[in-house]
Amino acid sequence: MKNRTARRISAGISNIIIIVLGVGMLYPVVWLIAASFKESNTIFTDPALIPKTFTLQNYVQGWKGIGIVGFGTFFKNSFIICGLCVIANVIFCSLTAYAFARLRFAGRKFWFAVMMLTLMLPTHVTTIPRYIIFRSLGWIDTFLPLVVPKFFATDAFFIFLLVQFIRSLPKELDESALIDGCGKFGIYIRIVMPLTMPALITTVLFTFLWTWDDFFNQLLYLNSPAKYTVPMGLRLFLDSSGMSSWGPMFAMSVLSLVPCFILFFSLQKYFVQGITTTGIKG
Amino acid sequence: MRKFVCVVFALFMCATMVFAQSATIRWAYWGSESRIKRSQQAIDLFMAANPGIAVNPEVSGGTGDHFNKVDTQIAGGSGPDIIQMGGNINDYVKKGVLLPLDKYVGNVLNTSVIDPSAVESGTLDRHLYGVSTGVTMPALAYNKSLLQRVGAPLPKVSMTYAEFRAYLVSLKSKLPAGVYPMQDIGAFSSNSTPFGYWTRYNGTPLYSAATNSTAVTTAAAQKYLELFKDYRDNGLVPPPDVAAGFAETNADTSMLIAGKAAIGFIWTNQLAGYQATTKDELELIEFPGAAATKALWQAPSQFYTVNKYSKNPELAVKFINFLVNSPDAAKVLGNDRGASASATARAAGSSDVNDRKVLEYLNVSGPHSSRETDHVPNDTEFNSTLFLVYQKVAFGQISPAVGGQQIYDLLVRLIRK
Amino acid sequence: MNKKARKRAIRENLSSYAFLTPWLLGFFLLTLYPMLYSLYLSFTEFNILQPPKWIGLRNYFIMFIGNEQFPRDERFLNSLFVTFRFVFISVPLKLAFALAVAMLMNQRLKLIPFYRTLYYIPTLLGGSVAIAVLWRRLFAGDGVLNTILRSAFNLNPPAWISNPKYALYTLILLSVWQFGSPMIIFLAGLKQIPREYYEASSVDGAGKFRQFFAITLPSLSPIIFFNLVMQMISAFQSFTQAYIVSGGQGGPLDSTMFYSLYLYLKGFGFSEMGYASAMAWVLLIIIAVLTAVAFKVSGSLVSYGSGE
Repeated sequence: MKNRTARRISAGISNIIIIVLGVGMLYPVVWLIAASFKESNTIFTDPALIPKTFTLQNYVQGWKGIGIVGFGTFFKNSFIICGLCVIANVIFCSLTAYAFARLRFAGRKFWFAVMMLTLMLPTHVTTIPRYIIFRSLGWIDTFLPLVVPKFFATDAFFIFLLVQFIRSLPKELDESALIDGCGKFGIYIRIVMPLTMPALITTVLFTFLWTWDDFFNQLLYLNSPAKYTVPMGLRLFLDSSGMSSWGPMFAMSVLSLVPCFILFFSLQKYFVQGITTTGIKG
Repeated sequence: MRKFVCVVFALFMCATMVFAQSATIRWAYWGSESRIKRSQQAIDLFMAANPGIAVNPEVSGGTGDHFNKVDTQIAGGSGPDIIQMGGNINDYVKKGVLLPLDKYVGNVLNTSVIDPSAVESGTLDRHLYGVSTGVTMPALAYNKSLLQRVGAPLPKVSMTYAEFRAYLVSLKSKLPAGVYPMQDIGAFSSNSTPFGYWTRYNGTPLYSAATNSTAVTTAAAQKYLELFKDYRDNGLVPPPDVAAGFAETNADTSMLIAGKAAIGFIWTNQLAGYQATTKDELELIEFPGAAATKALWQAPSQFYTVNKYSKNPELAVKFINFLVNSPDAAKVLGNDRGASASATARAAGSSDVNDRKVLEYLNVSGPHSSRETDHVPNDTEFNSTLFLVYQKVAFGQISPAVGGQQIYDLLVRLIRK
Repeated sequence: MNKKARKRAIRENLSSYAFLTPWLLGFFLLTLYPMLYSLYLSFTEFNILQPPKWIGLRNYFIMFIGNEQFPRDERFLNSLFVTFRFVFISVPLKLAFALAVAMLMNQRLKLIPFYRTLYYIPTLLGGSVAIAVLWRRLFAGDGVLNTILRSAFNLNPPAWISNPKYALYTLILLSVWQFGSPMIIFLAGLKQIPREYYEASSVDGAGKFRQFFAITLPSLSPIIFFNLVMQMISAFQSFTQAYIVSGGQGGPLDSTMFYSLYLYLKGFGFSEMGYASAMAWVLLIIIAVLTAVAFKVSGSLVSYGSGE
């Protein structure tokens, strides 16, 4: 009885701390949402958070996109690219990570160091040679330059992430599996994949979010407006040398956050359950 | 049999003609929603009139994105056919990536109806490289509604520097605390237009391509920095840390739009864009001293240029000719890329209130203008570094004398580079 | 016997390399050439539009030494210092904050899914324009922060975001505020600690505090190490936020001119891609050395499953 009250009080305190900190986190989104309902000619002149006049015009106009292509098309393109990248990263980064973390082979340390090096060169200077490669393949103005590299596990961030997670798994697990007659691939599929679920979910989430936001590459490789993506569409509302449509830009910014919110919200439940190793061990 | 051969031959000819005619022109430009819509309407008109030619717009939102993309494309060997250019056209001509259009003049491209000054501005080393998309001018924009609210007199369109300073002083007494008579327009990260204007006013223009030299001296640059130091010390422009809070790269970061300054700097083609972000009414006046010195200039807001490696240069020029000269295209394009420089296009007219304000301004200031000064080589680096030196003076880290020396050194270095 | 063992070792190697094949292919086909090409460019003058011109070590010379004819690039050195300051202040702060919040978010509260999403919001906004507008609104001379400081404490605070002395700290704060990615990774790591560890130590009567040091930190050490290395690498390459908040200029007075921002300005803005490539390789060496040190030091501090 006493125990339960104590637990309640501690939960109450946690709630309060979380909420107070959270208000600071929420402010920008509230501002963004409020701005998306303001008339364009008051966004930067009216300092009040809550707009005096509500208008849905920004959403209506923003959804029409850039006049020749609707915003729905940008969403569709972004979804296709992100979906393929997620699938590729989960499969190929985890395969590679498994090799680095668990397998013994000549040159392992060397290749691992090489992989880490690929993370350290700023991408702006490799832009042009990469463009030349994809152009010689005839891939310009297609989604291929954005998607195919992921099928070759070029995202070293996720490899390193998964390596760290796999290495922290108790090793006795694969030994017992080996005894049970699993091959390397069997261990990967039956032991490593399920046990690194939190890390794989993280990979899914970050791949999606980062690909969704990856403006620079999409700008370089996509030429036809019908193939443009969400971040490209957002940039097309703004032009420093002429007309900028701030209202629709903010409205579509809000809308572009929705898939990220939904994905995040639905995936975060996988971080709820701690793993138990007993079941497998026994 | 002979008949058969004839038929086959005819079919073959038809096929090759269709094949020759079916080409895609890639047109790279920057712009936002309204320009994209207008441009697409023009493309549709062109494609309807010229079956077999497709035009694919490759549009980016703003000059930064546009040139990153175009540079990468050219370096990668797949540059677009038509490239929209700004003040940096010289740099691209020097690097040899643009096609001289001279051989198309008179047959595919009709320049006889375009203002001679506009043709001249696209001519470098006696070759025509760029066709002006329209005319724009530097101007000062003031917040008319704000001045009326505080009961301040409205400025005259043309003033001398002495009148202008007196006017700023009179404004200062009327404006509430935290609102300044003018933005610190001395230098911006993205353009050096006010400095460029002042050097013309001072008779020491920034650069001459013919002699590959600058007329600016250390003393002249110092004088400029002192002019703004005087404004700053007297509260006519904001102190440096307030000024630096506004990036002034767009309406969203503009002190004028935020209502913190009564007067700001814009190009006339930006008026509509700025006006759309505020309920206050904006009006245009000239830089001081233009009437006596003709130091203002009309500049092409942009150019259409053709990639030297274009596979269809003639079709590209044909499309450009359509864009600048066809009355149909003019009707849909409006003044979006500047007030048209083509007589046939201008005849189409406009009813928009901002267009009208700009036209009025052009009428007054046109006579107060002279030929545009050549752009300093390495434009972007000049703007960026000038801005840094200017800020150092504003924050009091270096004196105007040292700043003047650094500006002069910068110019000499960039011209030599 | 020996022959047999060798055969087995080869077979073992081959089957391991089979797992590595996609990555190796990607490395040789897509990554290696661009890297080597940029290394070559770093010894050239390359304005993007014309073929590169070989100039030997001049780019590196201008960065660090300089002479009459090719004066040393003071903006480069400044950007290096700014970036080092940024990395060494923001990374520890961000990691500590991320870990603290991850612990908070690892509780069994009813509203936890909602809270987690809430705390991830700043990171979701990433480099959107809204951030630039917002940061100016918060930290300008007449911004929200100063309004509070003035009315509540009667202070006369500076314009944080546009004062060269403080502007960098507003960006450090922005970086710490976007702590979502390391937080999620910490959370995933916390979830992977077998529950029995805690149950066993509870039985032994260990308090929360001791559990944290005895179980959580050691079990989490590979993940902490990962976050440290990755946050350091990405902080050295930090670009978007500074680009957006300062309008691409690293102002005021170059006080937020991050290394990558200057590299970008040089490469694409001033069309000196050769110089930018040289800068990139200098950065690569700096990061590689620091990462190598981190790996060396980690050997004694990080404990992997079953003492690898």
